Amino acid sequence: MGVGIDLTDVKQWPRMFWGFLVCLFLAWLVLQYDNYVIGDLHRGYREASKVLQGVKEGKPAKTYEEYVAEKKESYKKAMEKYEAGLEKKKPSKPFILKQNDYDYIIQNKDIPGKFSFGERMNQFQLTYVAVLLLGGMLIRNTIGIPKFLQPGTVAARPFIKPGIIILGAYYMWSDVLRVGMIGLVLVLLFVMGAAIAISIWGKRAKADDGLMGLMSAGVGVCGVSAAVAVAPVVNAKPRDFFYAIGTILLFGTLALFTFPYIGKLLGMSQPVYGAWVGTAILNTAQLVAAATWYGHEALLTANVVNIVRIGFIPIIVLWCIYYYVVRPARQAGESGASVNTIQVIKEKFPIFILGFFIMVTLNEMKFFSPDVKDLLGRDIVKIFMAIGFAGVGLNIAFDDLRKAGGVAFVIGIVAATLKAVLAALFVMALGPGPFIIKQ
Amino acid sequence: MQEEKKSAEFQEKARETFSAERREDYAVLVIATIVVLLVLLGVIDKKLISALYLFKY
Repeated sequence: MGVGIDLTDVKQWPRMFWGFLVCLFLAWLVLQYDNYVIGDLHRGYREASKVLQGVKEGKPAKTYEEYVAEKKESYKKAMEKYEAGLEKKKPSKPFILKQNDYDYIIQNKDIPGKFSFGERMNQFQLTYVAVLLLGGMLIRNTIGIPKFLQPGTVAARPFIKPGIIILGAYYMWSDVLRVGMIGLVLVLLFVMGAAIAISIWGKRAKADDGLMGLMSAGVGVCGVSAAVAVAPVVNAKPRDFFYAIGTILLFGTLALFTFPYIGKLLGMSQPVYGAWVGTAILNTAQLVAAATWYGHEALLTANVVNIVRIGFIPIIVLWCIYYYVVRPARQAGESGASVNTIQVIKEKFPIFILGFFIMVTLNEMKFFSPDVKDLLGRDIVKIFMAIGFAGVGLNIAFDDLRKAGGVAFVIGIVAATLKAVLAALFVMALGPGPFIIKQ
Repeated sequence: MQEEKKSAEFQEKARETFSAERREDYAVLVIATIVVLLVLLGVIDKKLISALYLFKY
């Protein structure tokens, strides 16, 4: 994910410091907005609507003190039920309107403007994900980022990965296996299908082997990471690499900003949408962003499908070695061309997903209390994601996207779009049932 | 000749980038482990997270 930057190289840390600090600050700032506008004001809108409904139905208006006492009493009762084991889910603290807002609703029979604003921002899905990505992209392509900040913004992107690992605290193995098995079908059908189709199409179109190897890995499996893994295997040239990366990033960027709205338009439930983006978006960072944008349940499903998909990086490398190296060598009558399967799997397996599996196992062993699970799976994951998305947004440069071109562009965009359309039809036909992750 | 040299250099860079990604994976595993431990030890808790948010209703 952090192509060009080695996070573990201590000598590079001073170069990364300022840019990373900017990402931390941006993430913190936008999380303030998200917590207040998308969180508090949205809850305020729902509470204000309830109060307003009572007023419009002609019920006698309670005094503010009566309203507060009633809210507290109902929370106390819900807690008693939870403590007695009658309710499984811990009730969340009630949202109590402030006196001036309560009085405003009673007197004006209207909802205060700030709550309506929060609701509107929610309707447009302008959560921290959208603000960081759109804002970052806007900054990068208008005022630009000074050179000394760039390494740090690139270094912020991999911070999505600890988020993916920690999110494991939310899953049970039964869910991971169930969704993972369907994810495996999706990956085999659409992801590997796209990779193989691109290789064959490229050969027929007499496109360069190096370029098409990169495209089949990048468009099929895992965007930039897969393209980097495959580049030395297929003897890719620098020009091929930039064409392929440009096309992958262009499709990913378009998908990132349009898929959440297409999902809403098609009426996709969160689990269905999660399965769709997990299959159709090419790059982990963009995929996680598009899923988080849609909602927490969508992220839970997308994360499992994504883990199955990136687990296929060694398989796609094996495919490329076979298709672009071993097969032509055998056809040319050369003997001895073979693939060291174990070596490739050992070298190319994305080991960070092992951390996710460890977290799922710890959760299965009831290692985390519900409060700890919530803290890890929601609050801390959100912070890591925000840092990562700040890096992603600031690195969407139109100049990079313009590098997409030639046959790679046509084949890549057609294949990726076809994969997205077919995957959408498939997951919508299956419905949400198979993709739900119980919380 | 120069094209071949450029290609070889690029492939070496791609190999190096991929091994940097592998090291990055270890780094994120360490970061995630530290954070989970801090949560389990109670150093990072709801109060600390809540203190990060200055604008509240």
